[in-house]
Amino acid sequence: MTEKNPCSCGANEQKRIIFPCAGQANVGQLTNLAAVKLTEEGYGNIACASLLAIGTETLIANALNADEVVALDGCPTQCMKKIAGAQGIAVGQHLVMTDLGITKGPSKSYTEEDIEKIVAACWKGEGRKKDTAKPGKKSGGKDCGCSGTC
Amino acid sequence: MTKIEILGTGCAKCKRLFANAEQAVKDLKITAEVVRVDDIGEIVGRGIMLPPALFINGEVRAEGRIPDVNEIKKMLTE
Repeated sequence: MTEKNPCSCGANEQKRIIFPCAGQANVGQLTNLAAVKLTEEGYGNIACASLLAIGTETLIANALNADEVVALDGCPTQCMKKIAGAQGIAVGQHLVMTDLGITKGPSKSYTEEDIEKIVAACWKGEGRKKDTAKPGKKSGGKDCGCSGTC
Repeated sequence: MTKIEILGTGCAKCKRLFANAEQAVKDLKITAEVVRVDDIGEIVGRGIMLPPALFINGEVRAEGRIPDVNEIKKMLTE
């Protein structure tokens, strides 16, 4: 577990929602741990896959209003991406743990390196198709969303 | 030689931005110097109020957010 982001850095960061598949296998549980770390680092906010699967309207609305939805799947079954698709939510970044070289089962164990591998891949945008990212803001100032306070 | 500077006081986001910049340089196979600037006086002196910031050859290219590797690669090849 990482310490909570101690600074206010990244105020221009996009609003992201992170959905981990939360499957029972080691790779599914790793998606949870990575999503928690990404939330702590300020990449986005973790949200509940089950809540989305049952069609919770407020969560769907939040996801549709987010700048980017991140789906973390443990294995090639890609349950999380399919759940998002079933609710009409486009996934901007999609990472599959087994594609990152993490072996699914039979052990439930994982390492800190596994979590770091996933978190780093997410920050690097490895699960984002080329040229699908929304254009970033070049700098602060009038376009930074701070209402002129920066 | 291209000079890439990461301005920030060393929190997780600054480290992620530094790693993304290093990966972009590696992917493009270019020669570039990637350096950290963590002196708060210099950061503020260069007009950065929302760290981390990415400078390429002295020009601010991102502030207050972490561009991904592909975006940095685009910046480097423009």
